Amino acid sequence: MNYKDLTVQLVDKCLKFGADEAEVYLQSNRNLSIQVLNNEIETIEEASSHGVGFRVFVDNKMGFSHCNDFSDKALEDTIKRAIAFAKLTSPDENNILPDDIGITTIEGLYDPSIAGIPMEEKIEMALRLEQLALADQRITKSSGSGFSESEAEIFIANSHGLSKSYKSGGCGIGVSVVAEKEDQKNTGGEYCSRRQFTDLKTLEEIAAEAAKKAYEMLDPEMVRTQRAAVIFDPDVGRSLLGGVIAALNGERVLQGASFLKDSLNQKFTSELLTIIDDGTREKGMASAPFDGEGVPTRKNTLVEKGVLKSFIYNTYAATRAGTKSTGNASRGGFTSLPGIGTHNVYLLEGKHTRNEIIASTDRGLLLKGLTGYGINSVNGNFSGGASGFWIEKGKIVHPVKGLTIAGKASDILNDIDMMGTDIDMNDTFASPAFRVREMQIGGK
Amino acid sequence: MNEKRYFVRDIPRRKFLELSMKGGLIVAATPSLLSQLISCKNQGLSAAGLNLDRETLNKVIAEALSKGGDFAEVYLENRTSRNIVMEESKFKSGLYGISQGAGVRVISGNKTGYAFTDDINPENLVRAARVASYVAREGGSVAPVNLGEQKRDSFVTVQQPLENIADTKRIEIMQRADQAALDYDNRIKMAMISYYDEIRGRVIANSEGTYLRDELPLLFFIVQTMSDDGKARHLSRERLSRHSGFEMFEEVSPEEVSRRAAREAIAMLDAEEAPAGMMDVVMQNGWGGVLVHEAVGHPLEADNIAKGIGAFTGKLGQKVASDVFTMVDDGTIPNARGTINFDDEGTQSQRNVLIEKGMLKGYMTDILSAKQLGMNRTGNGRRESFRYIPIPRMTNTFIDNGDSEPADILRSTEKGLYVQSISGGSVNPVTGVFNFTCREAYVIENGEKTKPVKGATLIGSCLDVISNIDAVGNDLDFGPGICGKGQSAEVDAGQPTVRIRGINVGGSKA
Repeated sequence: MNYKDLTVQLVDKCLKFGADEAEVYLQSNRNLSIQVLNNEIETIEEASSHGVGFRVFVDNKMGFSHCNDFSDKALEDTIKRAIAFAKLTSPDENNILPDDIGITTIEGLYDPSIAGIPMEEKIEMALRLEQLALADQRITKSSGSGFSESEAEIFIANSHGLSKSYKSGGCGIGVSVVAEKEDQKNTGGEYCSRRQFTDLKTLEEIAAEAAKKAYEMLDPEMVRTQRAAVIFDPDVGRSLLGGVIAALNGERVLQGASFLKDSLNQKFTSELLTIIDDGTREKGMASAPFDGEGVPTRKNTLVEKGVLKSFIYNTYAATRAGTKSTGNASRGGFTSLPGIGTHNVYLLEGKHTRNEIIASTDRGLLLKGLTGYGINSVNGNFSGGASGFWIEKGKIVHPVKGLTIAGKASDILNDIDMMGTDIDMNDTFASPAFRVREMQIGGK
Repeated sequence: MNEKRYFVRDIPRRKFLELSMKGGLIVAATPSLLSQLISCKNQGLSAAGLNLDRETLNKVIAEALSKGGDFAEVYLENRTSRNIVMEESKFKSGLYGISQGAGVRVISGNKTGYAFTDDINPENLVRAARVASYVAREGGSVAPVNLGEQKRDSFVTVQQPLENIADTKRIEIMQRADQAALDYDNRIKMAMISYYDEIRGRVIANSEGTYLRDELPLLFFIVQTMSDDGKARHLSRERLSRHSGFEMFEEVSPEEVSRRAAREAIAMLDAEEAPAGMMDVVMQNGWGGVLVHEAVGHPLEADNIAKGIGAFTGKLGQKVASDVFTMVDDGTIPNARGTINFDDEGTQSQRNVLIEKGMLKGYMTDILSAKQLGMNRTGNGRRESFRYIPIPRMTNTFIDNGDSEPADILRSTEKGLYVQSISGGSVNPVTGVFNFTCREAYVIENGEKTKPVKGATLIGSCLDVISNIDAVGNDLDFGPGICGKGQSAEVDAGQPTVRIRGINVGGSKA
């Protein structure tokens, strides 16, 4: 039987076994991962798998179960488990399923050619990438190179007559190398993943970037503890702003567990900050025709010139808030319930190139690496480990490592005084470089 | 594959997947993430699939080695799990999962081939064996040894088996926890309670003739409480986890777990800005051990050592830490969260002294890295599920007791930061650079804990930090965590109260 028919039939079975409403989420996957190290294959992993999750409502109470055994008996037993579990949970009138049968058309999410490329060719790509990255004199060791691909087909059906499916896939290639100088060791890695094989960056480009990240941080100098400007390079935008996105989660807002809970339609950041979530971009790595519970995806402006325009919702949280789903039900596969998450997030670009931002900074940190949890979405505190380059009088003077940076979200976000133009829209969190006028930096 | 970082997560796995997957899509990310995308944490029990006869398994192993290879293995797994979530005093969801599957692995020289199937039958296993044997086409070959049942010591005892516990009992535990949190203080506005249990059945069969089967129960209870006094807000967390039966809740009551969480949430309402820069840090006993889990444990996992890139490469037998520092990984602590009886390759768990009085004594190995390094197998080859190959992982990892009194350590620290609990952290295993984030911390002035400060990041490098530990208390304790290294593993981290001279603290106070 095909999976589309199966999901519809399983919805009927849920109703027959006592559910008032039911949703069936079925996923089938295929993936391949090749790792090479020191010019030979390290691991090859290949697998196909599938699984199905059942979300059922009984008297407005919700239960969920999943299994990866598609025999009739296993499927029926699993449905009965969900119904039995539902009876234990609390009734909630907001437990409803979506009924929008629309689908957003998105091109380029699946490239059938990837699976057809011979294994030898993929292995050769990974080997070649490692050789290229090791070619630089400053690089002493490889910590591995790899090629990976995956494809998935998702089927959702529910008792409101919704029945949808789509197929998506992608491939990626990356390498990680080590630069050593006397006692110093530094790693650098670069990875590129795309929906379409021919959109991958060249091996030369990836290798050069990995090598550069490894060697450019050699010979760091420590700076003293001080307040100074911090320029967030594109790679670290997500690390800082991920907490803002988490604070926009409509359910956390309803629970009072968000530092932005009272900020709707208010200005809470610099005017330079506009944040957009787009689930519809062609070939987008986080694009999909519908979200984790089947609601059509859209393009939503979350923050516009510093003003909070919209929280993000799945159907449950939206119903509770008295609004409509924003198409942001996220799903960690067939084993999990719909949560709330974004698709392709990007910042609207500003007026200055990255070089102009550096040149106009009298003293500060060009931040390349940020560790820690980013902005705390509950209370807005921020603290992280930092590395990058020190800037004096508009010029990069030396690498810095082992620093900390910290502040309150409201201060940091309002202090953004320059927004860059250099944005790579292939990232699922695409940010140009931007500058925060002043932050607390911890050093010696 | 950007910077490889190993970490202990602050958030439940489900949330992590939500955050990282953006809408539940299958996206190609890093190779390790990629395999994570199709992973399924919640996986069945005494299922028919695990009852494949040894003759069939022998055949699969023979097929796996038909093209050559040094080692072949079949791993069968069945996991049943329950996860119940309570938020705002309501039972928000109940989740029941069954996951079953099998993987076949072939090692040939340094190469590993792996394939898995979630439908366990002889045909699928033979097919997986053929895929996995791809890597062995040019290597040497061994003849498989016929499977014989073996025995391993067990460190997990169960008085009240999970399969005999009614779901209403689970619900009752959660209600008790919720009530205790809200009763603690009227500034506690909400409790978020997650109850998880699983039974993982495993069968391990390999070309060395090993044939093992067992079942491991696991309980994981998390209480988060949110305080709000109109000015400040803090989300606290307390966790309880063991490989044991339901008797866990008789030894530590759900009320106790909630009160601990609520205490933190209230205490941190008064938190001020933390200081910034280098300072001395006293870490309270318990889950703070995640510092050495990250900073020292991961770099001592033998895979990066075998690659010649790990921070401790070539340092065996050398002095790497201060004299007061002894660190142990012990997979035999009765019923602990990191205890596994035997690892997922069938090697008996044991107590491994990694660093003794500052001297580097050993690494944590799996079968492959032990072979590559010419070392013994230490019982650290673990896998998240049948969807993953085993890799070197920690179990229960801790700094061993020293002889200082905890109160004396604090009293003799004139100025610095007292870290009572931390969220989690991460490390780059090659450079040894780590970070972790405080949950509850206090400024130390004149040898005393004073005002609480907001969650600051602590960063440093592993070799520096273990050289700078100058006092180790006699109050060893543990805490449970989820360790991530491309795949997740349940671990305990532990330590007595310790003092570290000079760590960079990420405060916001000018």
